[in-house]
Amino acid sequence: MIPVLSYRLMQAVLVALMVGVLTFILTHALPGDMAFRIAAGRYGYDYVNAAAAAAVGAELGLGLPAWQALGYWLWDLLRLDLGQSLVSGEAVVDELRHQLGHSLQLAVAAVGLSMLLGPPIGILAGLHPGGRIDRLTLLLATVLRALPQFVIGILLVMLLAVQLGWLPAAGHGTAAHTLLPALTLALGLAAVACRVSRNAMQDVAGSAFYAFGRTKGLSERRVFSRHGLRNVAVPVLAHQAMQLVYLIEGVVVVETLFAWPGIGHALVHAIVARDVPMIQGTALVLGLMFVLMNALVDLLCHRIDPRRREA
Amino acid sequence: MQTATLVTPAAVTVERRLLNSRQRLGVGLLLALALLGFGLPLISDLDPARQNLSQILAAPSLAEPFGTDHLGRSMLARMASAVQLSLGLALLGVVTAAVPGVLLGVLAGWRGGWVDRCLTVLADTLLALPGLLLVLLLVAIAPGSFWALYVGIALVLWIEYFRVVRQTTVRLMVSPQIEASRLLGFGPGYILRRHLWPALAPVVLTLGAFGAATAILAIAALGFVSVGLRPPTAELGLMMTELLPYYHDAPWVLLQPITAVFLLVLALNLLAGGRKP
Amino acid sequence: MIKLRSILIGASMLAAVSVHASDGVLDIVAPWEVGSTDPAKAGYVYTRLQIGETLVEVNDQGKPRPGLAESWTISDDQLSWRFTVRQGVRFHDGSPLTAEVAARALQRALAKPGMLAVAPIEAIGVDGDQVVVRLSSPFAPLPALLAHSSTQILAPASYNEAGEASQVIGTGPYRIERLQMPQKLSATVFNDYWGETPAIAKLSYLAAGRGETRALMAQSGDADIVFTLDPASQARLQRDSRLEVHGVAISRTLSLKINAGHPFLADPKARQALSLALDRRGMAAGLLRTPEAAASQLFPPTMGDWHLQALSGAERDLEQARALLAGLGWKADDKGMLSRNGKPFTLTLTTFADRPELPLLATAIQAQLRELGVALVVNVSNASEIPAGHRDGSLQLALVARNFALVSDPLGTLLQDFGPRGGDWGAMNWHSARLGEILQQLLQETDSQTALGLRQEAARLLHRELPMIPLAWYQQSAAVSSKVAGFSIDPFERSYRVSDMRWVQ
Repeated sequence: MIPVLSYRLMQAVLVALMVGVLTFILTHALPGDMAFRIAAGRYGYDYVNAAAAAAVGAELGLGLPAWQALGYWLWDLLRLDLGQSLVSGEAVVDELRHQLGHSLQLAVAAVGLSMLLGPPIGILAGLHPGGRIDRLTLLLATVLRALPQFVIGILLVMLLAVQLGWLPAAGHGTAAHTLLPALTLALGLAAVACRVSRNAMQDVAGSAFYAFGRTKGLSERRVFSRHGLRNVAVPVLAHQAMQLVYLIEGVVVVETLFAWPGIGHALVHAIVARDVPMIQGTALVLGLMFVLMNALVDLLCHRIDPRRREA
Repeated sequence: MQTATLVTPAAVTVERRLLNSRQRLGVGLLLALALLGFGLPLISDLDPARQNLSQILAAPSLAEPFGTDHLGRSMLARMASAVQLSLGLALLGVVTAAVPGVLLGVLAGWRGGWVDRCLTVLADTLLALPGLLLVLLLVAIAPGSFWALYVGIALVLWIEYFRVVRQTTVRLMVSPQIEASRLLGFGPGYILRRHLWPALAPVVLTLGAFGAATAILAIAALGFVSVGLRPPTAELGLMMTELLPYYHDAPWVLLQPITAVFLLVLALNLLAGGRKP
Repeated sequence: MIKLRSILIGASMLAAVSVHASDGVLDIVAPWEVGSTDPAKAGYVYTRLQIGETLVEVNDQGKPRPGLAESWTISDDQLSWRFTVRQGVRFHDGSPLTAEVAARALQRALAKPGMLAVAPIEAIGVDGDQVVVRLSSPFAPLPALLAHSSTQILAPASYNEAGEASQVIGTGPYRIERLQMPQKLSATVFNDYWGETPAIAKLSYLAAGRGETRALMAQSGDADIVFTLDPASQARLQRDSRLEVHGVAISRTLSLKINAGHPFLADPKARQALSLALDRRGMAAGLLRTPEAAASQLFPPTMGDWHLQALSGAERDLEQARALLAGLGWKADDKGMLSRNGKPFTLTLTTFADRPELPLLATAIQAQLRELGVALVVNVSNASEIPAGHRDGSLQLALVARNFALVSDPLGTLLQDFGPRGGDWGAMNWHSARLGEILQQLLQETDSQTALGLRQEAARLLHRELPMIPLAWYQQSAAVSSKVAGFSIDPFERSYRVSDMRWVQ
């Protein structure tokens, strides 16, 4: 257990360093005048002009050599200060708290919903590979994977918000507002989770210990709950936990469609506006969350699967 | 940008068969798509960029079997051009991701020791970087270039192959068959060909099948936030984004690129799903 | 499955109660994000929601009328303006509005990039209950500048040490209850408002970037007022009996900014040819879905004196365009593409995606110019690339949506766009001494007939020389729930006018 955690700790430090250096190199390699970009982010397209850009340049001291700026960022990081957004002037930490909170809420809801939808069907399909359910789920999963999220989202809004009037179409604030975007994400996830659990189930059902469980006279239900479920849970859990991370960073489409103030949306805006402290802060927090999530999965899998404890 | 581990590497049966019926269906679908993309431009002079603003969002007809888009362009010509581009680039993206992923995965799993540790740390750390960030930055450095877009996406996707392949290789290397082959003095090439690849192929193919879709949908998603647009290029993902506002006026138009991606993913899946129950 | 369904149904019943009930909150949805609390950056949000107010207000014709300033006078040499600050006005934190407070807010606005910098302001001072603005040269549109959202008057407590407004404490009929940047704001009525207390007590504002989202929110009843409808959704919303769709022409023109210093574009005949090759009617009817938006000239009818009545000429004429270019030495190859002295007629058109119609129009223009034999590379980028490209001279063509009513008097914007060195969003490498004279003269012209003549002359000059090629006039649109009465669109987009609205009983 200790080596696992110390590995993750080392990884966290590495990630922090890499994020800092890489985003720095890349943002400085970006074309376009930074002051103009920031001015556009600040004042909007009607008001961005040379005067605005000059004011931004003077205010922010953008002339600083790159290595110095990087040094300052790392030094501030040691003091746990992520700096201020060049566009809004707010502290990066405050912006991240607002956006990350919303993203997390959405991602957890989506993963939760997809766990309810995907694995049960997947296990059913995996118990009878090649059967009718199996083929049907393959088709369904492929359809869902071929549909872009914005199409799934719009279909859901048209059905659940416009036609039936059950859920709010977009916006945020109440729990009901979370459901539609979460469901949009969950359908795509469930499609994959369903296939993962189907394959895991198929493997487990075909394994020697599963057959042995049957021959020793256990009922189908008991074999499944004692030998099946645990073994299916490990890959499914590992997979879903990773999806959570992808979701947090990758849901920019759903955030845009549902007017949801998430971190993907913020990241896109930050890159467009060359808001370097925001980019670095966001990347850092996302990276560390990924490491944390991995550590949690490691621990959970240890719990569920006793064999791993020796490894 | 979500990637998919669709196959648990356990119990991959090594089975050598000619194409079964599902795989034949997959090949058929792929050929049909390729025929549309590469064949149609050979026999007709349809121009995917020619507009007719008095004929926008026209329903399918004899003259325009697929209808027209929001600028009055022939959807048939655009679909052909898009399938050609997207098929090419998606497959390229998948190969770009799969080749280093598989090679490094085999290397790490086979050699073990510090090679394995270094590569794993590298992959884990890269994986921790937000993929969206990498792709957006790369696209911003080379604006409007599809190459940058696909290379960026491939850079994010290769780690998936690496992890899966490494895991599988580690397990296979201690299997009795490979031990035996090694004892009998067969070289690495033989072991790779005879033992590793047959076991890895279905996993890699399944990952690739969904990877192609992921690449196309990722481009659609980026287009949705106005990244990667370069008129008048026809690309399946960007067409979905461009045609979205007309989902109510002309749903059949929006359905066309989606159907093409669906058929592509289905075909690759059928092809990869050679695993017999 | 069953579990999920029951969760969904349960949650949706909750939602049905909380969302669609008439909770007395007016829900406004618009595309613009609330990026900052500072008036210089995102001030328009706060004036539109009537949280902050300006010294001067504007009527529907664009004429200044009293706001936080009761009245104003101008000295005979036109260099000194005195604005008498309204008595008995309180900010949302209870502090009183004084001339000092107003002058301080204006000084802060002047120190930042913004519209106030257009005027030749020497000093902003205080004299009793008056704000005194001293100029170095006459500037007739000054009241219009003081109606701009960047000059809104906030309470002293709004500002932090750096002089940035970190909260918005205004004088308007609504005060902020909760601000969740960048997307959400809720406000409630301010009981000590100096004017009439509005009928609608609470409002909420949500920024939703996608047109499809906004349209669906209008249809589902989540929003009471939705601004900026995308062309594709407009017809659908019009058919919805629970909604009313409003449209008002505003002074925003979609046009091509041209680098007149580029060897291919230096001759006015070349610009004329490009203009003739454009199918404005097709783009207005087919893409913008408002046929009357096709622009025959740069200034739309809403701009009054600046608009030329006797002008049609939005028609496409490819033959004449080809003839003009042939006269300039361009020859077509067997594919119809033009070249001169071995150089192909290739140009790069830069535009940006913040306004979704721009990339769409750029694609249409690309195809239309190709018929003329001109190859266009479309570069969809960031809005800042256009002023940046203007400055370093690399810009060739840009598709822009210029708002001539950034301040209610277009002169404020035109001075920026057609100055001696062109303008970041206006002319590039093109200057007319006569136009410069006209604009300068208008700054001090008091006779309205003379002013009319000058404005018409300026419009004719721009139409002849084409430093900007007009494409379409913009229409602001909104879908309004039938529960709301008294809605109207401000043609200057300064206010949503919620205080004039009421609930239908």
